[in-house]
Amino acid sequence: MKTGLKWSGLILLATLFVFSCGKKEKDGKKKMVIGVSMLSMQNEFIQKVAQSLEKNAEANQVELIVIDAERSALKQVEQVENFISQQVDAIILNPCEFDASSPAVLKAKQAGIPIVNVNSSTKESPNAWVGSDDKESAKMAIDFIAKKLNGKGNILMIQGYMGQAAQIDREAGAMVALKNYPGLKLMTSQTGEWDRAKSMALMENWIQSYGTQINAVFAQNDEMGLGAMQALMDAKMKDKVIVVSVDGIGDAMKAVKAKKMDATIIQDAENQGKKAMELAIQLIQKKTLKEKSIQIPFQVYVGN
Amino acid sequence: MIKKWKDDLLKSQSGGIFIALLVICFLISTQTSRFLTETNLMVILNQVSVNAILAFGVTFVIISGGIDLSLGSMLAVAGVVAAMYSKSEDGNIWIALPLALIVGALMGAINGWIIVLSKVPPFIVTLGSMTIARGLALIISDGRPVSDLSESFNFIGNGDFIGIPIPIFFLLITFVFCTILLNKTVFGRYVKAIGGNETASFVAGIPVDRIKCWVYILSGIFAAIGGILLAARINTGQPNAGLGFELDAIAAVIIGGTSTRGGKGSIIGTLLGVLFIGVINNGLDLMNVSAYWQQVVMGGIIILAVVIDRFYQNIKK
Repeated sequence: MKTGLKWSGLILLATLFVFSCGKKEKDGKKKMVIGVSMLSMQNEFIQKVAQSLEKNAEANQVELIVIDAERSALKQVEQVENFISQQVDAIILNPCEFDASSPAVLKAKQAGIPIVNVNSSTKESPNAWVGSDDKESAKMAIDFIAKKLNGKGNILMIQGYMGQAAQIDREAGAMVALKNYPGLKLMTSQTGEWDRAKSMALMENWIQSYGTQINAVFAQNDEMGLGAMQALMDAKMKDKVIVVSVDGIGDAMKAVKAKKMDATIIQDAENQGKKAMELAIQLIQKKTLKEKSIQIPFQVYVGN
Repeated sequence: MIKKWKDDLLKSQSGGIFIALLVICFLISTQTSRFLTETNLMVILNQVSVNAILAFGVTFVIISGGIDLSLGSMLAVAGVVAAMYSKSEDGNIWIALPLALIVGALMGAINGWIIVLSKVPPFIVTLGSMTIARGLALIISDGRPVSDLSESFNFIGNGDFIGIPIPIFFLLITFVFCTILLNKTVFGRYVKAIGGNETASFVAGIPVDRIKCWVYILSGIFAAIGGILLAARINTGQPNAGLGFELDAIAAVIIGGTSTRGGKGSIIGTLLGVLFIGVINNGLDLMNVSAYWQQVVMGGIIILAVVIDRFYQNIKK
């Protein structure tokens, strides 16, 4: 028994030091507190949105709690439940999945805490939404490829995480755009799970099976576009294949500038974060919103 | 009666974890006033219910001297199956749920059969079936989340009865069931005997192979219950659900004082282990400690728990 106590004491000490990292609740003047659950901080674009949120929170003297859902919708739901327990003033959600993250939005609304979705949507509609029309980005990418190939050639599409709003919309947008170009043939599509390494492996396999038939690759985000680009460069095929992806993250812009990648469709992380913060603050102050959903437009970046 | 219960708790390895849990709760409540509220305690119980159910099942496996790494994958298969037959337009949960449980039992039975017949260590067999089941989940769902599920299915994960979320009822019922099964039945005695000394059990006439098979079937069924709850909770059957859940469940069992070498363990210990993990996750969230640090803490606690286990065994000798 005594030793048991001694050891459990040790466990406690070990955890105690982590608790000391936790912030104590501040008394005195009450700051607005906004809880943020982000899809994945491993993703450069999402990180840029988070940075913009942080910058704008500081400017507005809002205390921001940013947590990483690590791509798990379940984790995201639990994080929002914990925000509700914490009684934050508002929640900004960057949904992991269209359906599976939906209960998080519902729970926040039931608890009377305003919730703003940023960048991606959920089935349950939040109090406000900021993002870009993902269908538009895919259409711009396909238009770009069509122009480069003079409307004729074989395309491969690397999909995002299946079932996520961004993936569903970018796929739908690409399909609609492809109808305008009968000469463009979508050979196949497969998920790269938004991930550079995964889509690199996927591209390597595609190079084995399709080889020189490949004329262009449309990746639904930059991370995957960069993976595909790497695989094509390793196979010494990059100069024959057009690679276009969406987001406009730093690495992709650099690659486009260095003429390694052909184009990236820039999604404006800065403004998405800024507008989401504005909307959240307006909701906390119970102002009526001018717009319940704000579209941030895309731009094609070709390195000039 | 209460004294006996108290003695049991203090003498067993779960005594240490029980005290640790109390102290952790105390520590967290000194840091944030939001922790010890009725709603938050409900949130914790709700959040731990899936892990608890998986952990109850695998407690039997570990006591019998085995291990089951395929929990998370079996959970995904059962979740996807349950979701596919619970679609809002033509679903029927009275078909979906039994079917998911049968699928879970079947996968568990296959694990058990292979382990018993081939004598290959359970670690390796279930490592293989972990990958196979994950693949099956992706195949039957075509790699996509299964959504648009019926209200009645949704209710299992998000509804409540007399103000208590439904998953908590699942937690309580499985807890009572497993406690009785382990402590009051011949099956429970056999499981402990096999874990303690397999050869002696065999000589004593215990149907070792059959019991071992059943242990894995039990684990499969409980994984399926977890899968149903999880799918209902997020309203979607995800082929990627439950990645790494086997490790959380096994961690809870070990923290709860069940010996990794088999023969000994308790369901109450496992419940305490599950609560311990849940309370720490929730508490660290409430205190805004990053999710990355939570993983570091959890790993440290698992190792400490095993060290204590070893220490304890040596003293007793």
